[in-house]
Amino acid sequence: MPRIDIGGWADSAVDWLRDNLDWLFTLISSVLGGMYDGFQAVLGAPEPLLLAGIFAVLAFWLRGLLAAVLTFAGFALIDSIEQWGQTMDSLALVLVAGFLIVVVAVPLGIWSARNRAVSATLRPVLDFMQTMPAMVYLIPGILFFGVGVVPGIVATIVFAMPPAVRMTELGIRQVDEELVEAAEAFGTHPRATLLRVQLPLALPTIMAGINQVIMLALSMVVIAGMVGGGGLGQSVYDAISSVNVALGFEGGLAVVILAMYLDRMTGALNQRVSPLGRRALAKAQAMLGGGAKVLHWKPATSLAMVGVVVLALAAGGLSVFGKADKDKGHEIKIGYVAWDEGTASTCLWKELLEQRGYQPKVQPLDAGALYTGQARGDIDIQTNSWLPVTHEAYWKKYGKDLEDYGAWYDKTSLEIAVPSYVKGVKTLDDLKGKGGLFKNKVVGIEPGAGEMKLYEDKVQKQYGLEGEYRLLKSNTSSMLAELDRAYAKKEPVAVTLWSPHWAYDKYELTKLKDPKGAFGTGDGIHTLGRKGFAQDEPEVARWMKNFSLDEQQLTSLEAEIQEAGKGHEQDGVRAWLKKNPGMADKLAPAADAEYAKGKDAGKSVDIGYPNWDEGIAATYLWKAVLEKRGYRPTIRQLDVGPMFTGLSTGQIDVELDGWLPVAQKQYWDKYQNDLVDLGAWYDKTSLEIAVPSYVKGVRTMDDLRRHKDRFKGRIIGIEPGTGQMMRLEDKVMPAYGLGDFELTKAGTSSMLAELERAYAKKEPVAVVLWSPHWAYKKYDLTRLSDPKKTWGANNRIKSLGHRSFPGKFPELSGWLKNWHMSPDELMSLEQAIQEAGQGKQEEGVQEWIDAHPGIIDRLAPVK
Amino acid sequence: MSKLQAEHLYKVFGRRPEEAVRKLEGGADRDDLRADGTTAAVIDASFSVEEGQIFVVMGLSGSGKSTLLRMLNGLLDATAGRVRFDGQDLTELSPRELRAVRSRKISMVFQHFALFPHRSVLENAAYGLEVQGVGRAERERRATEALELAGLKGWETSWPDELSGGMQQRVGLARALATDADLLLMDESFSALDPLIRRDMQDQLLELQQGLKKTIVFITHDLNEAMRLGDRIAVMRDGRIVQTGTAEDILLTPANDYVASFTQDVDRSRVLTAGSVMADVDEVLGTRTADGTELRRAEDLLAAAPAKVGVDTPIFELFTPCSTSGVPVAVTDAAGELVGAVPAERLLAVLGEPMQQDEAAPSTGAAGGSPEGAEPEGKVTAGA
Repeated sequence: MPRIDIGGWADSAVDWLRDNLDWLFTLISSVLGGMYDGFQAVLGAPEPLLLAGIFAVLAFWLRGLLAAVLTFAGFALIDSIEQWGQTMDSLALVLVAGFLIVVVAVPLGIWSARNRAVSATLRPVLDFMQTMPAMVYLIPGILFFGVGVVPGIVATIVFAMPPAVRMTELGIRQVDEELVEAAEAFGTHPRATLLRVQLPLALPTIMAGINQVIMLALSMVVIAGMVGGGGLGQSVYDAISSVNVALGFEGGLAVVILAMYLDRMTGALNQRVSPLGRRALAKAQAMLGGGAKVLHWKPATSLAMVGVVVLALAAGGLSVFGKADKDKGHEIKIGYVAWDEGTASTCLWKELLEQRGYQPKVQPLDAGALYTGQARGDIDIQTNSWLPVTHEAYWKKYGKDLEDYGAWYDKTSLEIAVPSYVKGVKTLDDLKGKGGLFKNKVVGIEPGAGEMKLYEDKVQKQYGLEGEYRLLKSNTSSMLAELDRAYAKKEPVAVTLWSPHWAYDKYELTKLKDPKGAFGTGDGIHTLGRKGFAQDEPEVARWMKNFSLDEQQLTSLEAEIQEAGKGHEQDGVRAWLKKNPGMADKLAPAADAEYAKGKDAGKSVDIGYPNWDEGIAATYLWKAVLEKRGYRPTIRQLDVGPMFTGLSTGQIDVELDGWLPVAQKQYWDKYQNDLVDLGAWYDKTSLEIAVPSYVKGVRTMDDLRRHKDRFKGRIIGIEPGTGQMMRLEDKVMPAYGLGDFELTKAGTSSMLAELERAYAKKEPVAVVLWSPHWAYKKYDLTRLSDPKKTWGANNRIKSLGHRSFPGKFPELSGWLKNWHMSPDELMSLEQAIQEAGQGKQEEGVQEWIDAHPGIIDRLAPVK
Repeated sequence: MSKLQAEHLYKVFGRRPEEAVRKLEGGADRDDLRADGTTAAVIDASFSVEEGQIFVVMGLSGSGKSTLLRMLNGLLDATAGRVRFDGQDLTELSPRELRAVRSRKISMVFQHFALFPHRSVLENAAYGLEVQGVGRAERERRATEALELAGLKGWETSWPDELSGGMQQRVGLARALATDADLLLMDESFSALDPLIRRDMQDQLLELQQGLKKTIVFITHDLNEAMRLGDRIAVMRDGRIVQTGTAEDILLTPANDYVASFTQDVDRSRVLTAGSVMADVDEVLGTRTADGTELRRAEDLLAAAPAKVGVDTPIFELFTPCSTSGVPVAVTDAAGELVGAVPAERLLAVLGEPMQQDEAAPSTGAAGGSPEGAEPEGKVTAGA
């Protein structure tokens, strides 16, 4: 039987749609999202009890006193178990979906009632919609609409629509044909026949359909929670993924209350909206007597309306006075998988971002949904990526649309764990032969998980567990539930687990040692940003890149959050921050704080710099500093010669990379009358030839000559015409007899590239270098000593200005004169710039400034 | 000119109806068509109805009478032929014009009443006016009047399901009357009622008709009802009108066996009138009374006759007088002049009909039953 690749077709169809109909999905997405936000804003604004009152009045109107009382009690209970916000979110989702379904389904039903061809076409489509497992819709739903509430609404609409179409069609077909004929016989327009005869008479059936729609929609809410639909689904999904019975029950209870309310109300709505229903109601009320009358009496529509309006006004008034204006910081969407370390780090950042004036929005998601959503750009950051192993599959698929900000925690490990009461099982080797004890199974997690693959491909083979143990594949929550069950009964059980995991706190477990290293080294927990996030939110991205916690910090944070309890994670974070003073500033240094303006703020300064690392570093640093002080610096990269020329004519106001008295002596001598020396900011410089340390036995310039062959008689130089190159050729090389060496004259970057290449291949290489230079930090290099002192006295790095500079910029002159940098500072600044990458010098500088609180005031004090 | 005229109306259901009509015109019959999957519901129906007349279309289920009725107000399009109403060809009107005609000039009463269950009695009666766009106050006034005419004063605020069948049909009648339409189409309107109520309704219709003088087309499968109500009667069989005429015409000169067999069960004594069965004056002059006096002149006969009756008197009223005397009952015109007489033997002879062929009775009985047996079940029309 040939393989018919239907799944593949569906996949490519979805891809095609996503690529070509993006505008449509964006439109749908914004319409649905907007509607949802509207409903949610209305439902979320009033005081819970007032809104419960409004619901109760509706129940009174629709079903009588008893229903009203029960409604109020039910919703008050929801408020009490702290599921109110989620319930309203879910209600908003159901209402939006329900509304759209009615708008679409009723006309469709009417159409198919009037046209057999339409009916015959629709039937299989409806069957498909209704029976296709709802989860399946979520996959393209995420691809088209991203994570969040929209795919939830779309899936709900698709799944819950069929009964509305069917019941509308049925209701209209059921209307006595003679009645329709009678209407026609009196000359009624077909449209009027529909509106005056068919629809009113079909209304009870249609309402039954709508009732079903609402119930189906509500059942979808939980599933929508898995893709970030929020609401009760989120509560339930949270509970499932953390085996939290209490939360699960409360979330479930809220679903039940909401479901019963919606069911009874939509069921009774027929009595109010359809003429036949109204008649039946009037009849029933007329027949009541005595006590039953009070219990079943229902206020007239107008009366109920007044009640609702009064309560709504009260609610509106309260929320106007009770709510402060929301600040309008940037919104940062953080997604996380509701594992403990994910929750902890996410809550931590939520708090930090709020403190810094951002508007973080956090969403717990299934790992797959999280990556898909982030790759689409719906989620800005996640702090929960286990790389390189556990989330390898996701990274492979979505990595190109994500930015890795590095690991913030790297003490993770994957392992098989057994309860500590199982004696004598300490290592994976111990498992062998004990299959009977563990019922021949290892309880695993999701089949796609990296850990499962490692177990199957490596662990079970290396430890000879194949055949003896079967790996159960289900999912994380089932694994945890099984662990919980077995632990309660003190049964032996072996589960695939990982650290950090709260299960180690909750149960006493033994991590089985892995002497053969089959599980490999542990993952780091990485922070990922969506593509382009660093560009959009450089500050946050910087914080994320610098984010790291050690084991003690993470466990103490998790403990605080655990202690604060579900729903109060934020309080736990605050408590933790309080116990770790300075932590907030360290993790999220407030860079965009207002800086005082300098005296000459507004003035333009022309700064020139050579394309050398310390020049770039110092110049960009000062550019940042000056900008914060309100100056308007412009920077220009120039070769040394032109720079001095420019300085002497005043085209350039100042430069910060003057190597004096030696390296640039000739320029200084030539132009010194037009220049002013603003003093040195760095004096631990030296010029040298450097070789990698792995080239043994080469320590001095003399050694270099002796090992000429190893270096292929070549010295990699920098730009010709620089003082260092001139000095090398004129003095150094002759002094050590290196005249027959070839000096390549290219440029600093070529030199560094050659160094990098040779270093990677462990080839001998000799390069022209100077200190300070980050290359010393990056590579293990030996500075060849210069016993003959041919390089001359040590240079100092000076700031040089045009002679008019001190007069034009007295404040800046003062700052530069007092400026000093330590080797560490300069090195780390250079490295920060280097790591930020080409063209991102500003970001690197900013990162470095953030890491050095107070540096601005030190460099450029203002009073 | 007649108020309503049907000219060679055809209605064929199924594919390629025009072709079927050509075949029918060429002499094919219903069964030939059925083989092609088409059904000829009405075949070449022509008749005319005068203003103020009650025209009854009579036939068994499946004979096409309800289909015929629905072509008269355009609820069904005629496959071929014309319907002229007030000089207008209804088959040529656009749907919009047709709706206007239906809402103002033609109203309809249905077999199962077809009252809107979600409207009160008054709202039901006012429905046609509502469609016309008459203002609320006006239409409620006129609907109330119509209900009063139909004998439902005081029931305005009730709901249809609270009324008995007869009363519901009165609402249906009131709804039809309220629009002041000239033409009233009644589709088996009394068939769903029990016999006593049905009779009441017939009486009421006749009584109303005396005052209102509407033009009425009435469908029924009940020949007694047809005879009782109809000024003229059309008998349909298998989609064709087999005979059109007055009740007496049908009874006395049935066009064929089928009609004759139909009339068998009719209470002739109530349908036939003195005028239709009377002998000429000359024929009876010369008879003798019990005491032997010869009646030579009209005056003598008038004096001796056991009763003097009008031309329209149904003959069942003549039995008692005839049985008490050997002298024929005198039939007089409006002026009291003798126009004829009904001797007892003639009375008996008339009731002994069908006169033509006694031996044919069993076969006509079979003929009477055959249409029903051969008919495809209830697919031709809704109300038959």
